[in-house]
Amino acid sequence: MMATFSNIHSKDGSKARFWKKESKVPGSITPVYGAQHPPKLDTPSSSNSTSPKKSRHREKDSFEAFESKTEDAWDDGDDDMFLMPNMKMSLKDVHSTAMEVINNHSLRVQTANGTEDRNAADIHTGDAVPPLNPHHHRLGGPGMGVRMNSGNGTPNSNTKITPLRFANMPVPDREVAKIEKFESLLSQNNLDLGDLRKLSWSGIPKQVRPTCWKILSGYLPASLDRRQPTLERKRKEYFSFIDQYFDTRHQEIHQDTFRQIEKDINRMERFIAENSWVSQIHIDIPRMNPLIPIFQQPVVQELFERILYIWAIRHPASGYVQGINDLVTPFFVVFLSQYIDNDIELDNCDLTQLPKERLETIEADSFWCMSKLLDGIQDNYTFAQPGIQKKVNELKNLIKRIDVDLHNHLERQNVEFLQFSFRWMNNLLTRELPLRCTIRLWDTYLCEPDGFASFHLYVCAAFLSRFSADLKREKDFQGLMLLLQNLPTHHWGNEEIGLMLAEAYKLKYMFADAPSHVKKR
Amino acid sequence: MGDNRQPLDSIDATYKILILGDSGVGKTCTICRFCDQKFHECYVTSIGLDCKQRVIDLDGSNVRLRVWDTAGQERFRTLTQSYYRGAMGIILMYDITNLVTFNHITKWIESIENMAPPDTCTVLVGNKCDKYLCRAVDEERGKKLAENFGLDFFEASCKSNINVDQVFQHIATKIKDIKDKRAKRFQRTASNVSLTHWSMESGSHETKVFKCSC
Repeated sequence: MMATFSNIHSKDGSKARFWKKESKVPGSITPVYGAQHPPKLDTPSSSNSTSPKKSRHREKDSFEAFESKTEDAWDDGDDDMFLMPNMKMSLKDVHSTAMEVINNHSLRVQTANGTEDRNAADIHTGDAVPPLNPHHHRLGGPGMGVRMNSGNGTPNSNTKITPLRFANMPVPDREVAKIEKFESLLSQNNLDLGDLRKLSWSGIPKQVRPTCWKILSGYLPASLDRRQPTLERKRKEYFSFIDQYFDTRHQEIHQDTFRQIEKDINRMERFIAENSWVSQIHIDIPRMNPLIPIFQQPVVQELFERILYIWAIRHPASGYVQGINDLVTPFFVVFLSQYIDNDIELDNCDLTQLPKERLETIEADSFWCMSKLLDGIQDNYTFAQPGIQKKVNELKNLIKRIDVDLHNHLERQNVEFLQFSFRWMNNLLTRELPLRCTIRLWDTYLCEPDGFASFHLYVCAAFLSRFSADLKREKDFQGLMLLLQNLPTHHWGNEEIGLMLAEAYKLKYMFADAPSHVKKR
Repeated sequence: MGDNRQPLDSIDATYKILILGDSGVGKTCTICRFCDQKFHECYVTSIGLDCKQRVIDLDGSNVRLRVWDTAGQERFRTLTQSYYRGAMGIILMYDITNLVTFNHITKWIESIENMAPPDTCTVLVGNKCDKYLCRAVDEERGKKLAENFGLDFFEASCKSNINVDQVFQHIATKIKDIKDKRAKRFQRTASNVSLTHWSMESGSHETKVFKCSC
């Protein structure tokens, strides 16, 4: 491993070649160009010369080489290779390619039929994660040069995308098959958690997400029989906390009166000043997700307030810290989605129409899942926030290893990692990504051991290096800070998150077992 | 977006200004009002820190005010400490409709005294003075507190745009005075003085001014 690292940094720009040679991860091999996305003529990157253009001029076996390198493109079911303009192909080429495809396909069918012996990398980055294009983050901003699967979530899509909702997209066959796999797994009596993690890593279909999240986070047991009783017991337990802590608090300090005053006088907090974090919850909630109307509804605000209050009072070591409120949102939205048929309604739906019991189950489930999540990252929020300080340092060191130019560029401009990545750690990127992307990201976090802590670090590194080229173009401090604080991700969808996760997985694969590589030298 | 970028060569100096104060007193709002000339009713809670800037005219020279927005919550304070580094001006803010935020001012002053570089120019600002019907802190009390600690005092309102520009203009003028004084002293004793971050400030964007050991 050491030798490979010295390789990376020995020559400028040899990184791309490194990935090509060394990577065993499918989908990460070479840039895949198709008719839709031919290599750009004006791209500055020199490594583009290794594109199909070159292979076209060589003999037929070089086409085969190209084809075999890019065979994972067939995963997407697109055969636009044949539509490639100016591509002269001999009959032989066509035949050999066709044979290869047929072979690959039958191979894949075999593996899909229950053989589990694919290595971990294979599983994690296979199937739904689109082929990783190492040039991708180098060529301009996000959305540029992205291979499209079926036009979903792309900036050009005509469908209106809100912070919450994915663009309406046709459900491809593969998705249907995936849902079936999930459903059969979830209906097993003794669910194998490993199987569920493998399946969920590359994204969980919306329909089964609420159940999967509850199981993956450790809130629900794997055993089918015990799930319903557990749910009932836990929900009861949560509401007994409310009786114990929250409702009595209501009487003591006339919460209702306070709320009325709060409505009239913006963010007034002096009535509950004794516990500083209690008042903190009050201030933060009206400020949450101001672009999504459901968060402005009093029912929702009260629900969040109870969840945060109960959690804080039961975790005195940290108490409530700003940012924790953002971590309830994905759970809330996912658990709410199971009661609302059409996503389109989710942004604006009136929750007073929802039966009270349902809202209560959403509340209790969100509370428990959030608690499980926070158990893994509590040192982010205890005194002096040691978890965050550690991760910010590690991020800096990691970037120094994988993108030394970017690291030096930031350093030259006096941009410190703490200045921009503090929020990434404190809010788990929820501020940097649209909510729909956070939800997709969490599918994977919930599958990774220590996903919200250590894997998150690699995701942050992948996220930052994704914008490496844009950042290097910024020549002064202010430009850098402005970009870092408003990274253009508003149009992001599953595809971008998939790419980022594949990259993060690669980093983890490289560095996780060799922690000294990211130590400061 | 608060992008007031100007060509570097037209900037004569860059001043680093910090806004501190309890959560919800209107720090982010003040920065947006000053740097973007905008007011929004609803703000997302600040986490970590944000930075915006605006170039102002100060006695004929272009001065870039780089304003750092901080998170107000107590838990973040250990991390906020590193932000004090190199700060030349501090705007310490409370909400005149909220007594608690005013009562915390002494704590804030304490941490400024411990953390901020000496000669930092601090201004106390009571925000939201448009809401005089809900006033919880009299203007006199604010003035008195400021006097006790030797600070300048303003009441301001981002919503009604009262005194916002004045606060920044005032703090910039004071920073300039301090710098000028320093420069004079520097010239007088130039032979055996070591450069401090103050005397190098005009070139701060390319010079590493001040580095702590951590």
